[in-house]
Amino acid sequence: MPERSGHRGYIGARPLNGSRTPQHVQNIVIRDYAKRKNLQYLLSAVEHIMPGSYMVLEDLLDELPKLNGIICYSIFMLPPDQARRRDIYDRVLREGCDLHAAVEEISLGSSDGIQAIEDILMVQKYATIL
Amino acid sequence: MSDDIAFLEPEEQVLTSRFVNEGFVTAPADDRAGLDRIQRRAAELAADYLKLPHSNDPLGFLDSVHSRVSVEDLNGLRMHVIGGLNAEAWLRPTYFRLARSTIETIVGNELCMQRRINLSIQMPADDSSLLAVHSDVWSGDSPFEVVVWVPLVDVFRTKSMYLLPPSVNGEMQDRMASLRSAEELYKTIKPHLVWIDIPYGHVLVFNQTLMHGNRVNEESGTRWTMNCRFKSIMSPYADKRFGEFFEPISLRPATRIGMQYKLPGGFDA
Repeated sequence: MPERSGHRGYIGARPLNGSRTPQHVQNIVIRDYAKRKNLQYLLSAVEHIMPGSYMVLEDLLDELPKLNGIICYSIFMLPPDQARRRDIYDRVLREGCDLHAAVEEISLGSSDGIQAIEDILMVQKYATIL
Repeated sequence: MSDDIAFLEPEEQVLTSRFVNEGFVTAPADDRAGLDRIQRRAAELAADYLKLPHSNDPLGFLDSVHSRVSVEDLNGLRMHVIGGLNAEAWLRPTYFRLARSTIETIVGNELCMQRRINLSIQMPADDSSLLAVHSDVWSGDSPFEVVVWVPLVDVFRTKSMYLLPPSVNGEMQDRMASLRSAEELYKTIKPHLVWIDIPYGHVLVFNQTLMHGNRVNEESGTRWTMNCRFKSIMSPYADKRFGEFFEPISLRPATRIGMQYKLPGGFDA
């Protein structure tokens, strides 16, 4: 079994919640989060700009056996489809890895944390922003 | 085409045709002394990081660095070298000069350039530095950009990069949505790929809208390559914006004057 090493960053080229962040700034946020949480940060993978493409995320999930986990720039980068997100959580946890979101300072290391993440995503979907 | 009715010189027409049809051109560096300077400085920085004396054979030193550094320490080495190179005020103008004539034929002569030049190091049999098949446009680059890719050692076969030719790129791209991952995409395009051999002293300018990437280096030497994007200042930008990612290097006076010009006013007072 190959030795596990580090947390891969996951950033994106698509706007999030109507706002765009330059990729190098996303990396700064992830690097800062990793440093504060004492995680070894590995060079980020960049999700495609094409709407609905999560091909890069799928590649990261395939890489999990070699990693300790993934650090997303934001939890809102996850797919909008709930079933697909559940599949991602299950894959991460099944591999003995964890999933982090740097902006929201969320970390998922067990199935106990899934509902809290889903609550955030649902409220964002339905709540009004002034 | 007869020379007196053509706007482009014959050699420009040849270069243009190659770039459009093949998706890339390789050419001897316009500034060989500048390239040697970059190579030498990279080797010095690498030697400093590894606490070794500076070598009289920078190419040999870089090519054999895998005998002196572990995979775990590779990114530290890379960050030290690229940080040191980008700190040199002469780096970006020199890098531009390596391929100036090719860039100006393919892109234009009013240019912006990526603010930081990238460095990639790929040791033999190391799978930690791989770049899955991609087009830079998928990650937010503008389709109006080109990449100038410069090896600091001889690169060939799996020590180099691959590119999918324009003749099949569109058809393969159309299949993407039905594929799950980049690895599945790679397997689909593999029979059509072109591996680009580039001896040291030459530069590569390629169309980054075409799928490209690298695989595990199965050759005996370490690959050292630098890459930097150029585009026409006034062509459309995507997620890599002017100012934060690109800066102008040859903004012409006519454009500067045009941007500042104000028509006489006060007629509607």
